Amino acid sequence: MDSESGYHGRRVRLPGYDAAEPAESTKAPGDVIRHVRRLSNWTAAALLVGTGAAAVALAHQAIPAAGPAPQAGTTATSPSGASQAGTSGPQVSHSVATTTASGVTVTTTTRTVNGKAVVTQVRNGPVNGDN
Amino acid sequence: MTGKASPPELAGSGPASLEPPGPGSWRRVLTGDDTVAVAERDALGTDARVAVWPPENLRAGCAAVDDVLGALDAQASRFRADSELSWLHRADGGRPPLRERLFLLSDGLAEAVGVALAAARWTGGLADPTVGAALIALGYDRDFAAIGQVPDEPRPAPVPAPGWELVRLDGPLLRLPENVRLDLGATAKGVGSDRAVRAVMSVTEHSGGVLVSLGGDIAVDGTPPRDGWPVTVADGPEHAGSPGAQLIRLTEGAVATSSVTCRCWRRGGQELHHIVDPRTGLPADGPWRTVSAAAATCADANAAATAAMVAGPHAEDWLASTGLPARLVRHDGQVHHLGGWPAADGLPVPVPPGTHVYPGGRR
Repeated sequence: MDSESGYHGRRVRLPGYDAAEPAESTKAPGDVIRHVRRLSNWTAAALLVGTGAAAVALAHQAIPAAGPAPQAGTTATSPSGASQAGTSGPQVSHSVATTTASGVTVTTTTRTVNGKAVVTQVRNGPVNGDN
Repeated sequence: MTGKASPPELAGSGPASLEPPGPGSWRRVLTGDDTVAVAERDALGTDARVAVWPPENLRAGCAAVDDVLGALDAQASRFRADSELSWLHRADGGRPPLRERLFLLSDGLAEAVGVALAAARWTGGLADPTVGAALIALGYDRDFAAIGQVPDEPRPAPVPAPGWELVRLDGPLLRLPENVRLDLGATAKGVGSDRAVRAVMSVTEHSGGVLVSLGGDIAVDGTPPRDGWPVTVADGPEHAGSPGAQLIRLTEGAVATSSVTCRCWRRGGQELHHIVDPRTGLPADGPWRTVSAAAATCADANAAATAAMVAGPHAEDWLASTGLPARLVRHDGQVHHLGGWPAADGLPVPVPPGTHVYPGGRR
């Protein structure tokens, strides 16, 4: 970096280097650009093919060997099993559970009557009712 | 914890059979949809319900839930003399002037206590696990089913909670001051539902989906039915078909409800209920009779619903600060919706991601 003019201004030959310039260097600027563009196209094409192949391979591995029943669609679950969306299970029209105070308790007693076990369940509802 | 028990027999497992159930046995519940299978049983002084799809997952699912509930009861029940929690309360782990006992907990109880303490921290002490002595003083000193058999007695003076900050948990090591009685009621059923859905999804190799309700505290996992699991929101199970009930859809996470319309008893001529204000040691006396909340985990939802009941007039502000969807019912029946809880029937509840109290509850 001791020569400002040599570094920024123009190309400087190395001492003792008298050989002719490489063939490419004599090409017209348009040829070089075309060559680079061809190389870029091939590189892009190779990248596209590679990316596609990798995506297909990964998708194959992501599909479980024993998937859900045929009723299911395609929505996946997370590794923990957490759902991603409510769009792929079966249609369920009726309520399956009630979120409520855990106030109804059940006392189960078993007694034997005529040699048979009789199970009695007493459900303890709210004391004060609905107010 | 899962997959060891043989699949349980389902009493009344035929299409419309309703055979007399045995103690602790699963009973099929016919809901009107044959795309899911539903069963319920008595558990932890209340009822447990499992809904799965595909229906053939039911037996394995029930077995998994049995394992979870059996373990939770043995760990955290305040009413079982042989539970680990009862052992803590009986044990003499320290001598004066130590005034503090040190215990090595099982993984399960350590998790349950950790969730209860996290809930207390998150709610600013509104859901405090040190209300055990307060509940005992109010007469809730035995399984609820047995309380009604006790004649009305004078009620002793209320015992405010000593405060969750006195309890230290470092991994499995618990430091519990003398005379501090833990009650994990604000979070334990939620933890149970969260553990149960995970266990079911594990034994069914993550096929289909599952809903588990433990005394009305509901968690779901896996792939839900199209549009979500239909869930009724009501003051009590006997109100499920009443005009005040609402049908929501749950696609993920959990929903839990706290209410003063249930688990009530009388002492000293007064009507008491189980949601205790830790600050006073008395039953919470706010404007709400029922609060339902949805969250990523059932432990979060359970803690939020209980804290809102205790918060009373400040419940809406506190719930709004959490961002959780919630439904509050005033004593006069007026219903308030917060955080995107749907006002109409049949719509999904938007459950925000993330958990405040139960990291192990995933999501």
